[in-house]
Amino acid sequence: MILIATGGVLAAAACVAFAVRKHLAIVGPLTVLALAAAIALAYATPVDTTGDLLDLQLRLSALGRLSALVLFATTLLLVIHVWIDEPAYNFFPTALAIGACVYAVFVLVEPLAICGALILGLLLPVGSFTFHVTENRSVEAAVRHFEFVALGGSLALSALALASGLPHDQPATTFVLLVVILFVAFALMLAAIPFHTHAALLASEAPTPALGLYFGVLVPATFVAFAEILTLSGILPAIVQVATVQDLLLGIGLVSALGGAVLALGAADLRRLVVYSVIANLGAALVGMATLSGPGIVGALAIALVTGACATQQLLAAGTLEARAGMDTPRARYAPLAAAAFVAGGIGMIGAPPLVGFPGRFFVELIAYQYSGAAGTALVVSTLALLAAQLRAVLGLFSDPVDPLRVERRPVAGVIGAVIFLTLLVGGLLPDVLLRPIAAFVEEFLKALRPL
Amino acid sequence: MIWLGAVAVTVLAANGAARLRRAAGAFFLVSLAADAVGASTTSLPLLAVAACAGTVSAAILYVAAGDETYGEEPGWRLWMATIVAGGATAAAFASFRTVAAGIAAPPPPYGDDPAGVTVQVAAFWLLSSGVAILLSARSAVRATLGALLMTSGVQLLIRLTTGPHLALSLLVAWLQVVVALAGAFLIVNERVTRDR
Repeated sequence: MILIATGGVLAAAACVAFAVRKHLAIVGPLTVLALAAAIALAYATPVDTTGDLLDLQLRLSALGRLSALVLFATTLLLVIHVWIDEPAYNFFPTALAIGACVYAVFVLVEPLAICGALILGLLLPVGSFTFHVTENRSVEAAVRHFEFVALGGSLALSALALASGLPHDQPATTFVLLVVILFVAFALMLAAIPFHTHAALLASEAPTPALGLYFGVLVPATFVAFAEILTLSGILPAIVQVATVQDLLLGIGLVSALGGAVLALGAADLRRLVVYSVIANLGAALVGMATLSGPGIVGALAIALVTGACATQQLLAAGTLEARAGMDTPRARYAPLAAAAFVAGGIGMIGAPPLVGFPGRFFVELIAYQYSGAAGTALVVSTLALLAAQLRAVLGLFSDPVDPLRVERRPVAGVIGAVIFLTLLVGGLLPDVLLRPIAAFVEEFLKALRPL
Repeated sequence: MIWLGAVAVTVLAANGAARLRRAAGAFFLVSLAADAVGASTTSLPLLAVAACAGTVSAAILYVAAGDETYGEEPGWRLWMATIVAGGATAAAFASFRTVAAGIAAPPPPYGDDPAGVTVQVAAFWLLSSGVAILLSARSAVRATLGALLMTSGVQLLIRLTTGPHLALSLLVAWLQVVVALAGAFLIVNERVTRDR
């Protein structure tokens, strides 16, 4: 019952928020309250609670609970930012509806249903991507996003439907084809290179809170859903038997990790830097997943969740810096706290110790070296390139002198950045809080990989 | 088999429509034909769910068009999409057919198709047409049409699975409506941009 209540609160609040979306004084607090209630309910739900909805089974795993808490909290911070600093009335119902979809992704057990809920969530930000449509290319960016999600989502659903309907005596090539389609479909939805063109367009045209909703909440949810679907769909043993399939996932991951880092090095603005850094990190996470090993998958999921939080932190800071600078180039002197938040987000993004992003990246790079020297080296090069890209951005931001006693008016992005940084720091000091629930999921993953 | 032909013809009509309202009407016929194809392997509530989603999606597209004139000329994309869909459907059916190995004879022109051959071929035709239209779309009009055709194909494939049919059919029906709503939102915004 409590499983349905959590999603129900968000879904009902989304409907109410849509009705009153133009009354900021009502919709802002309502959204914050609904998300706070969802966080409380998710926290109060014991791990492995089960339930039913129609003929669908529900179960909240340890990973599902952790992911829901992290992503609800990220959404809450985004909503607070939009409410106080950057009012956009259609953001609130979108955020709540996405929260409901993300929760459904984490509690559903049927792979087809998980994928369906995920696609619903990925389609929803279309409304918050488009703004000032006569002055920019935000509609074009939203159309590209829509196309990629519709294509990737339908392909993933088809592959899963076929996999579930196929008799078990099929030739191995049939399963290989299905797995390849599934990988390509998720690469489309994760904006992995070479399927990243819509993400690049979104980065330059969409509002930063909407980008935060996508790269900070939906992209990590997509990655977790990918891991869950692989575990629950029964296709993992087929992947183990055919090395080519594993190599394909590894290849997509390495291309994304290296390509994203190179693109981040050459990024023309702060938003693109963040988006390419996310793509690079997700590439590293895909490499971890492709190793099909315990540490690799733990690291991959940890990277995905931490990257989402850091992307939110950096995107909000970048948006504030751009807004405060006006027509000028964004510099720290316009919004010193937001600039500090951007720097702190960069530290988390590259997985530097003592933040909680470090163990995940360490695991993945270590296991990648064990898998192949070239893969490990590529990941280290990617991390170094990301470090250089973030340093380049920071040097640009602080190229003008900054008055240390001056703080920008309404430093919402700066405060949110500080909250995320402190959370990542505490997580780094207590890594078990993040890693133990992921490890519990990895045990299920490995059992599904080798059922005998 | 007759309904399979109906699916092919209506998809061709939707693909070839240069006006969005005609494409919406053709998509409505596509969804009816797809429901008819799956009627022999599906219960009445599931058919009703799929039919409602198809009708609502077509209505949303019709309203989003605004007037009779708005749309996107398919041009060479019509034939490209048809040829690609033909090839992809044959390849997909050869690779992924789930019907029992013993049933080799083609299904009858009328009546039941318990093996689900026509359902699967129709699903592959809808999916491959949708992919071809989506990949060659220049605007939200054809992107939405392609996405809707793909979700119709998914709806058919789900009928052949062994999972919880009612919940999955409802979920895909909602997905189809959300695709139509998001597409309509983009079509309206794109038109505002073009008209200026």
